[in-house]
Amino acid sequence: MSPHLILRIVSKLLIPLIVVFGFYVHFHGDFGPGGGFQAGVIIAVAVILYALIFGMDEARRAVPPVAVRYGAALGVLIYVGTGVLTLFMNGAGEPLNFLDYDALHPDQSHHTGQHYGILLVELGVLTTVTSVMLAIFYAFAGRVPDIKDEDW
Amino acid sequence: MHTDLTQYLDYALIAMLLAVGIAIVRLRNLFAVVMLTGVYSLLSAAWFVSLDAVDVAFTEAAVGAGISTVLMLGAMLLTARESEPAGQKRHWAAFAVVAAAGAALFFAIPDMPVYGDPDSPANSYVGMEYMDRTPDEIAVPNVVTAVLASYRGYDTMGETVVVFSAALGVMLLLGFGTGRREEDEEDEL
Amino acid sequence: MDMLASLLPAGVAYHAPVLIVIVPLIAAALAAFMPKGVWAWGVAMATSVIVAILAFGLLGQVGVHGAVSYDVGGWAPPHGIEIRLDNLNVPILILLGVLGVLSLVYALPSVADEIARKQQALFYSAFLVCFAGLIGVTVAGDAFNVFVFLEISSIATYTIIAMGVGKDRRALTASYNYLVLGTIGATFFVIGVGFLYMATGTLNMADMAAVLEQNGHNRVTQAAFAFIVVGLGLKAAMFPLHVWLPNAYAFAPNFVTVFLASTATKVAFYALVRFVFSIFHPEVAFVSMSFTWLFAVVGVVAMMVASVQAVFQTDARRLLAYSSVAQVGYMMLGLGMGTAAGLSAGLLHLMNHALMKGALFMALGAFALNFGVRQVKDLAGLGKTMPASAMAFTVAGLSLVGVPLTVGFTSKWYLVTAALERGWWWAVAALMISSLLALAYVARLLAAIWMENAPSHHGEAAQRRLAPWMMMVPMVILAAANVYFFFHADPLVGLARAAADAVMGGR
Repeated sequence: MSPHLILRIVSKLLIPLIVVFGFYVHFHGDFGPGGGFQAGVIIAVAVILYALIFGMDEARRAVPPVAVRYGAALGVLIYVGTGVLTLFMNGAGEPLNFLDYDALHPDQSHHTGQHYGILLVELGVLTTVTSVMLAIFYAFAGRVPDIKDEDW
Repeated sequence: MHTDLTQYLDYALIAMLLAVGIAIVRLRNLFAVVMLTGVYSLLSAAWFVSLDAVDVAFTEAAVGAGISTVLMLGAMLLTARESEPAGQKRHWAAFAVVAAAGAALFFAIPDMPVYGDPDSPANSYVGMEYMDRTPDEIAVPNVVTAVLASYRGYDTMGETVVVFSAALGVMLLLGFGTGRREEDEEDEL
Repeated sequence: MDMLASLLPAGVAYHAPVLIVIVPLIAAALAAFMPKGVWAWGVAMATSVIVAILAFGLLGQVGVHGAVSYDVGGWAPPHGIEIRLDNLNVPILILLGVLGVLSLVYALPSVADEIARKQQALFYSAFLVCFAGLIGVTVAGDAFNVFVFLEISSIATYTIIAMGVGKDRRALTASYNYLVLGTIGATFFVIGVGFLYMATGTLNMADMAAVLEQNGHNRVTQAAFAFIVVGLGLKAAMFPLHVWLPNAYAFAPNFVTVFLASTATKVAFYALVRFVFSIFHPEVAFVSMSFTWLFAVVGVVAMMVASVQAVFQTDARRLLAYSSVAQVGYMMLGLGMGTAAGLSAGLLHLMNHALMKGALFMALGAFALNFGVRQVKDLAGLGKTMPASAMAFTVAGLSLVGVPLTVGFTSKWYLVTAALERGWWWAVAALMISSLLALAYVARLLAAIWMENAPSHHGEAAQRRLAPWMMMVPMVILAAANVYFFFHADPLVGLARAAADAVMGGR
């Protein structure tokens, strides 16, 4: 019988909800408080909770360190890439500047491009923040063999 | 004139922040210190809510009270539970620096705008213009998001890179934990 | 200038102000994906070449059209963030581009020797982040944006300094000390920027200057000035805020020391000049008072104290690091004169010092690679075993002293002229004494290299062993530049003069 049975069951229920809440915070960032940074932290917390309950090895199987390493760089690429995309999508004529999201969608009256751009760059922030928080957690927690019972 | 009662809440929160801060400096038990830093962040988050800065409060609660407490606990497990007792030596140079910085802050107070002054530069110039322009220019209800991700999106890109470079530092200096793991990783690469 | 202005194709030329920042950023992220260190080096090398080309293109644009402004996100300042290039920061970009290319050529053999193979890709990634951060600080036209990019470069710098741990574990404490001090400096800087925002309600530099001119200064802006000077002064290694520098330079990987010594403190000095002259006005009473009583004084003290400290160092790189602190003193003195001649002399010395210290640290790195030497006494006999590197070291060393036929003489000449113009005899005396001290510490190095015999192992004299050509070429180019720009001083003097005029308005 594994120890911390109640913790395991409760967290199994909670973790998916935490991740969903993270995405809610991300996509609702235009309307309410929140955005990619907070969402990234929340999603990282879900994985960390998983690691604390089920152990580092399980967590590493779910989110491998290599994914974390590449994720941190990928987020930066998504953000800067969005800006580069705006440089190439200025079909309307006059040159648009780096990170001018109006280039992303022709509908200027509702500024749909701005919405797209904000969601995209926040996705970059989310990817980097989640990965980096996990990288730091893996680096620290990975050095301790296991969290002993008296350390709880 | 109508007095804003929430300011008393602010004073109370600031007093608590001060008390927690002093406790953090005085305590030698690192577990208690880590927990108190979490409390400190939570109190600041509450204060930010009272200042109507909900986005900042949200971030502070998630990062300061949440994840950084976990990371500091992880770091503590690697080192020690207790910090060494403070030496008897008095650090006069450090005290002089702190006193000078504090004096500079107090020196500036008389010319600062009154708390909540609607005519202060920060409340009347670019900040207000963001409120006016956002509905027309970006059309999102949350002005904070508009400023963060669009008007000053270049800064936020920079902040993302700051976070990225923190990860680079951790990965280069600590790796991902045990030596065995690092070898595995090399095989995968 | 016209030729340089047409260096870039039209589409690229328009976006060049932002491309010069984002190309290294993209490269940093790509380098982190590279499975092999050499590939990451290739990415970094290509990036630095692109940056250098963009920098020269921008030099041409600024030369032909005057200041260039780019609104990131299409939002005009003060609502958006402006990237602004003028005669003051374009020379710094040229410096970053050229020294970036040269030090990356040098990097491949040096890094292969000092950094574990599986860490090299991430190491180059961190270097590129630092590179991008320094460029970002240089081109920023927005006060808060300066802070963001200062943080980018700082955090990456702490990491790459700590990577010296492979050769000497003291790199970790050196980096940690720098991290603590650097964070305090960054906090001071951001408090200062916050105060400026409180007083002006804007973050755009030009707009800040306009609002300050209209509203005048008060205690808040005075406190802002103090915090910003301390924050940037720490990054620029302004005496006595330099204490992080000697150990950081002594224990970092050699390539990192080469790059940082020739660029990082320079960028911070530029930022200081930008804030002091462009945002605060040099004719405001407390600013002009700070010239004489703060910058000139700390400059002269640094020239004396740090030079004396350099004379007594046993570690070769620490010796040169203390010398760097003294050289920052020369630049501060130039700034403190508060005249266009003084500032341009300081900026000229900034560029020349990059040429000297680049070559000197490159040679020390080559010595370390071949013979593992770090101490001054261990340099014995290198004149015979590594003659070419030793020659490059000697030329750059003489330039550091300020011997005629080298650029060191040129910039000291301009400093002396500017001091005399101002009637500052004491500053001239300080320059002379400090040069004599420089002669003392450079002579110690040169004496070990040329006068003493190489230690013999088991009765056998050490063999002649040349440095890898990839280290030799940039080293020789920099050493040659130290002589070339003495005879053809006009390009650098012209850049420095134009830079000073850009912020002093020909005063």
